[in-house]
Amino acid sequence: MNNSMSLLIGGVQGEGVISTAENLMKTLSSLGYYCFEKRNFSSRIKGGNSSIVINIGLEKKLWVEDEVSFIVALDQETIDLYHPLLEENGIIFYDSTITPDPTLLKKGLKLHALPISEIAKKNGSLIMKNTSAMGFIGVLLGISEGNLIEVITKKFKKKGQDIIEKNIKVLDHVFQHANENLNEYSNFILNSIQKNKRPLMLGNHGVSLGALMAGCRFVASYPITPASEIMETLGVLLPKYKGIMLQVEDEIAAVNMIIGAAYGGVRSMTATSGPGISLMMEGIGLAGMTETPIVIVNSQRVGPSTGMPTKHEQSDLIGLYFGGHGEYPTIILTPSTVEECFYSTIRAFNLADKYQCPVIILLDLTLSLSNQTIDQLDYSKIEIDRGKIFGASEIQQGYKRFQFTEDHVSTRAIPGTKGGIHHTTGLEHSEIGLPMDTPLNRKKMMEKRMEKTYILQSSNEIIIKENKPTSNNNVLVLTFGSTYGIIKGAIEKNNIPVDFGYFQMIKPLPIKQLENLFAKYDHIIVVENNYSQQLATIIRSEVGYHDKIHSVTKYDGTTFTLGEIITEIGRWV
Amino acid sequence: MANMKDYSNNIIPNWCPGCGHFSIQRALQVAASKLEIPNEKLAIVSGIGCSGRISGYMNSYSFHGIHGRSLPIAQGIKASNRDLTVIAAGGDGDGFAIGLSHTLHAIRRNINMTYIVLNNQIYGLTKGHTSPLSEVGFETKSTPTGSIETPIRPGIVALANGITFLGQGFSGYQEQLVDIIIKAIQHEGFSMVNVFSPCITYNKINTYQWFREHLINLDEEENKKPLNYQEAMNRLIETEGLCTGVIYQDPTSHSYLDKLQPEKKPLSHLNLKIPEEDFNNLINLY
Repeated sequence: MNNSMSLLIGGVQGEGVISTAENLMKTLSSLGYYCFEKRNFSSRIKGGNSSIVINIGLEKKLWVEDEVSFIVALDQETIDLYHPLLEENGIIFYDSTITPDPTLLKKGLKLHALPISEIAKKNGSLIMKNTSAMGFIGVLLGISEGNLIEVITKKFKKKGQDIIEKNIKVLDHVFQHANENLNEYSNFILNSIQKNKRPLMLGNHGVSLGALMAGCRFVASYPITPASEIMETLGVLLPKYKGIMLQVEDEIAAVNMIIGAAYGGVRSMTATSGPGISLMMEGIGLAGMTETPIVIVNSQRVGPSTGMPTKHEQSDLIGLYFGGHGEYPTIILTPSTVEECFYSTIRAFNLADKYQCPVIILLDLTLSLSNQTIDQLDYSKIEIDRGKIFGASEIQQGYKRFQFTEDHVSTRAIPGTKGGIHHTTGLEHSEIGLPMDTPLNRKKMMEKRMEKTYILQSSNEIIIKENKPTSNNNVLVLTFGSTYGIIKGAIEKNNIPVDFGYFQMIKPLPIKQLENLFAKYDHIIVVENNYSQQLATIIRSEVGYHDKIHSVTKYDGTTFTLGEIITEIGRWV
Repeated sequence: MANMKDYSNNIIPNWCPGCGHFSIQRALQVAASKLEIPNEKLAIVSGIGCSGRISGYMNSYSFHGIHGRSLPIAQGIKASNRDLTVIAAGGDGDGFAIGLSHTLHAIRRNINMTYIVLNNQIYGLTKGHTSPLSEVGFETKSTPTGSIETPIRPGIVALANGITFLGQGFSGYQEQLVDIIIKAIQHEGFSMVNVFSPCITYNKINTYQWFREHLINLDEEENKKPLNYQEAMNRLIETEGLCTGVIYQDPTSHSYLDKLQPEKKPLSHLNLKIPEEDFNNLINLY
């Protein structure tokens, strides 16, 4: 019996590997187990190989293990590519329609054929091999047929009773076959757990739900991996709450449309990835210049150019931190878990309204596209604060949209508000919003815009996990995004005596907190997925302490493994 | 009765004396006053270039965005609050070079708003460069031996792309222009008014005189009647786009926003709070 289990499912892309894994994880999450997934897929619709590593446990984990206990291979490529991940005594279960290379057996790998396609074909149709595969994995993990049927019934509800019954028939035969043939494989069975249904979500779902609950009612977006689920999810949810999601002609239209809608008084958002964010830069500058509150989600993938669209990287940070042409304020939030995607998105809308500037939610491909079993989201933490907006009755004579104020934020009047008429322009402008290029006004306006978010530099935005009592408080590991989960896994699992932490907000940089950390620790190791040490570079340039900062980077399109982190951090312990 | 002066913010435009844009600004103000649009319910959006300045001279909410993007911004504003009258205005570069794709997609999207093209067939503010609407042979600083590219005909492009209201006006025909703009604003859907607006400083070919000699005013034709799609296209092709009047209107047009949001509520005034029960039901889907 096991407290945790790690497995890999792989097959031809487009033949349902991802939905097999999702159905399995949904079942497990509904029972009380925590799941965490890592995908490997390619930029094509059908063909090629797609695989998912799933970690299942009684406790929550934010990483997948470097090794898996068993592999379920629906195609030959899965075996070829991933057999090195198999732990000692691990087993490859393969669909009996493929004939694995017998030389693999010489390497000591144990192979076992399962009639995955055969049962599906005989009792339903070939496409139901996903249900069949899920059934076999369920058997191996010790999940009851009833629990799998529950998820299948829910999933195929729209497709009708006939489809549901056929899928159940497939499951029946899988369980029957397993009872007769798989009794020797009882070593993968999970310990039972008290039933507690928890949601299973992608980071992109966390963002979408956060946006909805924050009061976002307008989204304009252009499809792109790995951000598309956000527009897809909100395309379903927004109309239910009288909101609008538009798929527009390009990312330039998307950002400008949300600027228009936000100026019009609606909480508005767009979601994109690298190539899209490059196209949006001029628009983000316009929002900065016109003090328009917009929220932009950027899920990082491998760049530059088209890069590797389905691979992981954290390399848009510097570009967004320093921005496009000219200087303007932005806020960059960097959630690390699905729960944080939800809460950070709500916070993003509040910050955008409070500081009247663009807020960027910086995700990465792994966070966007990894299903995680999450803890219940807390309704009481949802707060909507629209910041300084005039209601019609409050407007006073001589209203100035861009008035100089103590906190540098001026009150907005949205179109339709009587007495609030003003001009808004991307040109430098006066307090009433009309073009003005005098040196004195330019200087004051620059300071107004650039300094309004300064106060956030004093905010504690780095969550520190002290690894007491083993830590000698000498070394701190810092990171951001999904990399946090791997750092946490590596350090906690191996009791490495270091503290670690992650940024929730990178811009404005929490300078005060960083100063305190540099005073406390001798070595700060910054771990990130890019070539040019982007986060470390920002910290060096804003805070200093070059001699104390050590950088660990990886830029091959894959996330760090636990082993790599253990080795890298080990150097400093 | 509103007065056109109510729609001016009394700022003296920075256009050259005699610029065609003065006449378009005036026509817009007269149209707004005739329609009695409350000033705070009027939103004017413009792009970059001489034309882009028009929003800064209106006593209304006004947004002067970036080059080529007045249409996305304007559509966003209209989506945020359908009770506003939204008018985008831009030059030939805005609408037919850098922003051409937005023009085509705004036409497809058919959101209830009006787009006025301040068409002077030249880039004036950069001090005289060729425009995608400049004629073949047109000499500018960037085409010293004359433009060799085929000009875009805005009316033909718009009609081919399925526009539901197309008007063409001329800065020299003030009354007709006012009439077209009023009809454009009243149209249920996306309306485009392409206005020939001479640049008196840099375009020495397409002058007021030239337009008076070359334009065909459809309103002055005998047996004038609304043109169907085919007839409208024929007239545009016959005249190489040089005709004025309401060229085409699809009487069956319905605004896209109505399809997206049948409740017809301004998004800017929605109650944003979602009850806990709804929230729990949503989470249960995952």
